[in-house]
Amino acid sequence: MKIKFKIKRYNPAEGEPAEPYFQAYTLDVEEGMSVLDALLKIADEQDTTLSFRRSCRSSICGSCAVNINGFARLSCATQVMPEYAKMGDMVIEPLSNHVPLKDLIVDFNPFWSRIEKVAPYLTPTSRRARRRGDVPARENDGARVTARDEEAIDKSQRCIMCGCCNSECNALEIDDRYIGPAALAKAWRLVGDVREGNSRKRLERLSEEHGMWNCVRCVHCTQYCPKSVSPLKQIESLRSRAMKEGVLDNPGAKHVEAMADSVKRVGRLDEAAMTFRTLGFLRSLGMIPFGLKMERHGKMPKPLLFPQIENIAEVRDIYEEAERLEKEDRERKKG
Amino acid sequence: MALLRYAYYPGCASHEITKEANETTIVVAARLGIELVDMPKANCCGAGLLTDYDYPLSLALNARIFAEAESLGLDIMTICSTCLMVMNTANRDLRNSPELLEKTNAILARTGLRYGGNVKIKQLLWVLAGDYGIGNLKKQVVKPLNWIKAAPFYGCHSLRPSDALGFDDPMKPWSLEAVIEALGAESVDFKGKTKCCGFQIDLVDEETAAKMTATRLLDGKGKGANCFVTPCPFCHINLDNYQSLAEKAASKKISMPIFHLAQLVGLALGLSSGEMKLSRHLVSPEKIIK
Ligand code: SF4
Ligand code: SF4
Repeated sequence: MKIKFKIKRYNPAEGEPAEPYFQAYTLDVEEGMSVLDALLKIADEQDTTLSFRRSCRSSICGSCAVNINGFARLSCATQVMPEYAKMGDMVIEPLSNHVPLKDLIVDFNPFWSRIEKVAPYLTPTSRRARRRGDVPARENDGARVTARDEEAIDKSQRCIMCGCCNSECNALEIDDRYIGPAALAKAWRLVGDVREGNSRKRLERLSEEHGMWNCVRCVHCTQYCPKSVSPLKQIESLRSRAMKEGVLDNPGAKHVEAMADSVKRVGRLDEAAMTFRTLGFLRSLGMIPFGLKMERHGKMPKPLLFPQIENIAEVRDIYEEAERLEKEDRERKKG
Repeated sequence: MALLRYAYYPGCASHEITKEANETTIVVAARLGIELVDMPKANCCGAGLLTDYDYPLSLALNARIFAEAESLGLDIMTICSTCLMVMNTANRDLRNSPELLEKTNAILARTGLRYGGNVKIKQLLWVLAGDYGIGNLKKQVVKPLNWIKAAPFYGCHSLRPSDALGFDDPMKPWSLEAVIEALGAESVDFKGKTKCCGFQIDLVDEETAAKMTATRLLDGKGKGANCFVTPCPFCHINLDNYQSLAEKAASKKISMPIFHLAQLVGLALGLSSGEMKLSRHLVSPEKIIK
């Protein structure tokens, strides 16, 4: 079967147009062929100038990620026939949220500097610092990593640094200073490791602006990660660890705290109380002119007037039980 | 057609801020013969924020909601995409792991509740495009909306993660377009239709949120839409209530009316703009209503 590949080209350094443009190649394809196989065949048989990254051809090296029909995928792990049958098209572009250098090749330096921001290596407490008493001894000091400890960070260790998640990230699309899902998944790999000695410091840094609380929870990273790292899940783990460690002095954590209180109090989300607590008094005052417009349409959040849900006592019991069982669990682990 | 009955979970937003979504859903469902059974005990799903707070607690609170529906012998229908995503993700995890289900039931034990893992969670969009059916919906239309060019704004939570949701395809979604076309309107395709509206960080980073909302609105407008329709009240809050903030962020007038899904359906069923509570919107849709 012959199909048309529409591939984005870009090579301003060698006198080509300053803007990327599409070039079409018609190729004989067959069952079992990957998009990377197709790109290699085009480069071999039709156009030696076509540039793209690749190495292992087996979803391990993470270098062949491109946009296929609008979504970031590894070209080696995407089959041509089913993709074409489903989407009715074969459009190949460089990753989004990355700057193209030549054809399908993008500048990966911003990706790496994001990873570097989270200091991507373990920093266990040194024995000397512990002896000096500079840092409190931790529960597991000197202990071995158990299978259960490993399980908590297992997914975050599968990352192959391909950039698919950052390419799909909706927060990164709008805010190019956002740290991004790949670095956050790596951050949980370290914060969640029982041997790590600086988890709290890490969580404080991650809670700064453009950090972990700026994720908009669009779920794209988790959906398109080819290695099932589930970056959003790792971000949730970072956030709940920050809540437990009391790293709360930022709008993101305050927002979550306000929600937890609201549900415990009335069983529901109390929009007014949450706005107030997250933004603080002065900033919510600044919203007054806008608030008046909302008010005219009956849309201004008011402190909850409607009665709380029926059987609210059950909800409070659940909060208490969850806390009690967690404590028991922690103690069992210690003892 | 077999009688359709659901345990109805409007979600917190539609109890108050977007109550027009709730009220019009009730009217439209009655007109279509879909029975909605109240869940007076149901608590908030956590909107993802409780997942950040404490995952086991969040699972237990969701299981409490499911247990109420289970005792009614009904599946849940919500009109909020975030509730849909949060509840289905919790349900996936509980159903995939008997151990986790047991642990969660242990938290519930003191309340006397127990979740057996047998509830499905759907949203109005799925009910219309799935259980009710596009063909049947078409038959109910008395006023085809043939002057409307609607941008189908799914937002992110009605499609992903697809291993928990499953109904539609995030790369090639069809359900919202199919409903729009069944109503006699034209569906306008645009890339941002399955992306985030910005709601989740409205209170954390207003600047990014407003820019994101503006990007989505301008994307659909640029493709020729004269309105947006969304199955999610949170998307509605950003696209409609906060549209003036988006306009400020983009330094552009946008003036885009935004419909809740039930409202557009209601108009095609011959219900009036009063019955569809259109005056509650900040950007008036009246000018495009005939
Ligand atoms: S869920 Fe968060 S980190 Fe993941 S892609 Fe969306 S905004 Fe980015
Ligand atoms: S988390 Fe997944 S998508 Fe992101 S860089 Fe790692 S392997 Fe790629």
